Amino acid sequence: MNLDLFDNIDGLLIRERENYLEDDDLKSRPDNNYDPSSFPERTPLAMAYIPYQQWGNVYDDDKALAQGTLFPDLDLPFKGGSRL
Amino acid sequence: MNEKKMLLMKIKKYDFALKELNLYLDTHPNCRRALSLFKQYKQLREKAMSEFVSKFGPISPEDSNDSSHWTWVDDPWPWERS
Repeated sequence: MNLDLFDNIDGLLIRERENYLEDDDLKSRPDNNYDPSSFPERTPLAMAYIPYQQWGNVYDDDKALAQGTLFPDLDLPFKGGSRL
Repeated sequence: MNEKKMLLMKIKKYDFALKELNLYLDTHPNCRRALSLFKQYKQLREKAMSEFVSKFGPISPEDSNDSSHWTWVDDPWPWERS
């Protein structure tokens, strides 16, 4: 998938970096300081954004089915508009 | 939970994990960690499936694997399950 088109949006869409890393590098997450909820400084108004998912932890299969997702990063239960 | 239900539950969980990884891999096709996890769950699913089929019969027609008898039509039918 070619994402080059989106690369000039101030790094909002982080390219998948794993592809360029060796196995050892993969063990430490490259994005420890990256907060997917914060916007870059000059984010244009009235645009919709979806941060690109990065590989993180995974639930075991028991918990995954119960939570409705394998990925803790995507485990975002709706609580009437208030954040977790 | 009896053995049959437990095995079905296992298959259900593995199927779900595989579907999640499937969706992730659609957008991250070169992620080796996702690929290796997909492979692990695929093997677990195959193991659980063959165990289920050998003990309780086919889950779908293509699981019917007997050269002298079409086991897909064996009892119990879905509405006859206790």
